[in-house]
Amino acid sequence: MKKLRLAYVRFTSCCGCQLTLLNCEEQLAAIDAVAEVVAFDMASSRPDDGGPLDAVLVEGSISRPEELVELLRLRRRAEILVAVGACALTGGVNVLAHGDRIELCEGVYGECAREKLTFPPQPLCRFVRVDLQVAGCPPERSEHLQLLGALARGGLPALPEYAVCMECRQRENLCLLLEAKQPCLGPVTRAGCNALCPSFGAICEGCRGPVTEANRAEESRLLLGLGLSEREVRARLERFSGASHEDP
Amino acid sequence: MKTLSLQPLTRVEGHGRVEMTVQTGRLTAVRLVITESPRLFEALLLGRSWQEVPALVSRICAICSGVHRVAAASALESALGIDIPPLARRVRELLLLGGHIESHALHLFCLTLPDIAGTESILELLRACDPRAREGLALKGLGNHIQELAGGRVIHPVNVEVGGVVRLPPREKLEALLAELEEWSGRLPPLVEGFADRRGYPPATPALGTRIAVDCDDFLLTGRSLRFSDGRVVAGERYGEVLEERAVPWSNTKHSRTAGVPLLAGALARLENAAGRALAPVLPEPSAAGIHGNNLAQGLELIWALREARRLVRELLAGDADAAVMVAVRAGAGVGTCVIEAPRGLLIHHYALDDQGRVAAADILTPTAINQAAIEAQLLADLQGVTDESVLIERAGRIVRAYDPCISCSVHVLKG
Ligand code: SF4
Ligand code: SF4
Ligand code: SF4
Repeated sequence: MKKLRLAYVRFTSCCGCQLTLLNCEEQLAAIDAVAEVVAFDMASSRPDDGGPLDAVLVEGSISRPEELVELLRLRRRAEILVAVGACALTGGVNVLAHGDRIELCEGVYGECAREKLTFPPQPLCRFVRVDLQVAGCPPERSEHLQLLGALARGGLPALPEYAVCMECRQRENLCLLLEAKQPCLGPVTRAGCNALCPSFGAICEGCRGPVTEANRAEESRLLLGLGLSEREVRARLERFSGASHEDP
Repeated sequence: MKTLSLQPLTRVEGHGRVEMTVQTGRLTAVRLVITESPRLFEALLLGRSWQEVPALVSRICAICSGVHRVAAASALESALGIDIPPLARRVRELLLLGGHIESHALHLFCLTLPDIAGTESILELLRACDPRAREGLALKGLGNHIQELAGGRVIHPVNVEVGGVVRLPPREKLEALLAELEEWSGRLPPLVEGFADRRGYPPATPALGTRIAVDCDDFLLTGRSLRFSDGRVVAGERYGEVLEERAVPWSNTKHSRTAGVPLLAGALARLENAAGRALAPVLPEPSAAGIHGNNLAQGLELIWALREARRLVRELLAGDADAAVMVAVRAGAGVGTCVIEAPRGLLIHHYALDDQGRVAAADILTPTAINQAAIEAQLLADLQGVTDESVLIERAGRIVRAYDPCISCSVHVLKG
């Protein structure tokens, strides 16, 4: 079998998605056997040969002109472009800094701010065709492995289109929302993590973004019923989904 | 005049480059240019409820997500005047150790070992069935396993909230972890010894910078004050008076100094500052290899961390399984600071809350920002006599890597 020519690149992000791949400690040798890792700066000093790619995994949002140029170049090089993680899919937590960016940067860097040419972080799909979106902040190791497995076989993995609650009930967990009265976002969040957090005993924070046909109105009603303010409910629902966050 | 550029920096976390100015064959100036995009975390926290802070700040950086989350919760607890239950403290310490083990193993075996072995990445070492690579990855996996147990999730843990932790790790899993930790005690020292061999590193001058670390109490990574190698001990909340920060045009990270001198944070600084206290070096002096001694210092900390993890797991197993691990929180106004040791060095979180418990001010100082001025000074000092351009480039990469920089952490900064 011909090896998959693969790159994993990152833009504005926390490295968590890439680190998740490096966290597949036991599978790294097997991954190396099916994929030729053309670029993965975090893990390898191999110089990128600039040649065509079978697939590129992209972590992070786009917030600088140089990042945009690089993204466009990657799109031209790659057969398949996969957006990995909330930052790449929707902007993730990066987009929560609302307000005038130059002003914010001035708050940070004083007079040096003008040198730092950045714009509000954008999801990849604003600029390029995205062939697959792998949700999560970060997506789990198993999802990285499924993705690479499918790519190596020349396909794309099937992604679940139901809510975290489905997986949670399958695991027969106590319902944190209904029984423990905690603000769990499982009902409106897309599955795929095997209900990781509720199975541990912590609420779902919604890191995988909204599931299609989410009943947000019902979820909001439940959260308000738990004593959260409207503002807090909105902040929780929008943390990873990149929805426009209005000023209070 | 000529400028040499090492770009991109690889096998470090984040985007940056090194620019070296060479005049008539001599290196005259060095800049570490951090190009990582600012993520403005302090700005996005403003106006948000105290409850949201821990989950948000963990997203500053994946490798340090556990320690960021603990730092935020602790700073907010100090702002709200809360004492957390002792068992909750133990669970947090265990999470910190898991992060420490994962991060050091990642740095030593995935990022540094390829330099020592002369390869581009750990993948080649795995292909060649190098036992150090295999063992190093297993050790990294152990760190992740601990983080998963104590934090509920490997990256961006969910177990830590303001007021304590959500739950104790299940008993049977702690017992299995204890067995795993016992089994490692013999395996670890020979692995670490490899990083003591001076022949693995390029020639180096002594590591520069005033050492700064948390003045540790009984646990190397936590405390209330800052200790400097010049003898000063300063209360954590007074960090702003002793750390002089300034923005520089060429980098997206601010530079820190104290009394005009660059600062060094990280494993080497911790060991030197804690000398004779938390752990005495059992191997050759880490400082002998200049800044590359930071690698051995991390190795020594790995031995310490596994020992401490065994102690903590035993204490957790001996604790009352039904004891409270979370206290009720009444939101209100307050100001709080946490100084803590992240794997790469001193980390400071500072928050002010308004009377509704919303963030009115936030300040986060990270180890890589603290180290940046020292990195530049060290590059210049170590590479002074080097004239061969390819050697300059290669060594510059190794020096930067020795600090284990965490660039995504370093660019979140905001000062109100
Ligand atoms: S999606 Fe989450 S884990 Fe991935 S890079 Fe963004 S913040 Fe980090
Ligand atoms: S705990 Fe959360 S994810 Fe699980 S069933 Fe209840 S609401 Fe859904
Ligand atoms: S349970 Fe929710 S917060 Fe946790 S990993 Fe799954 S989607 Fe993310």
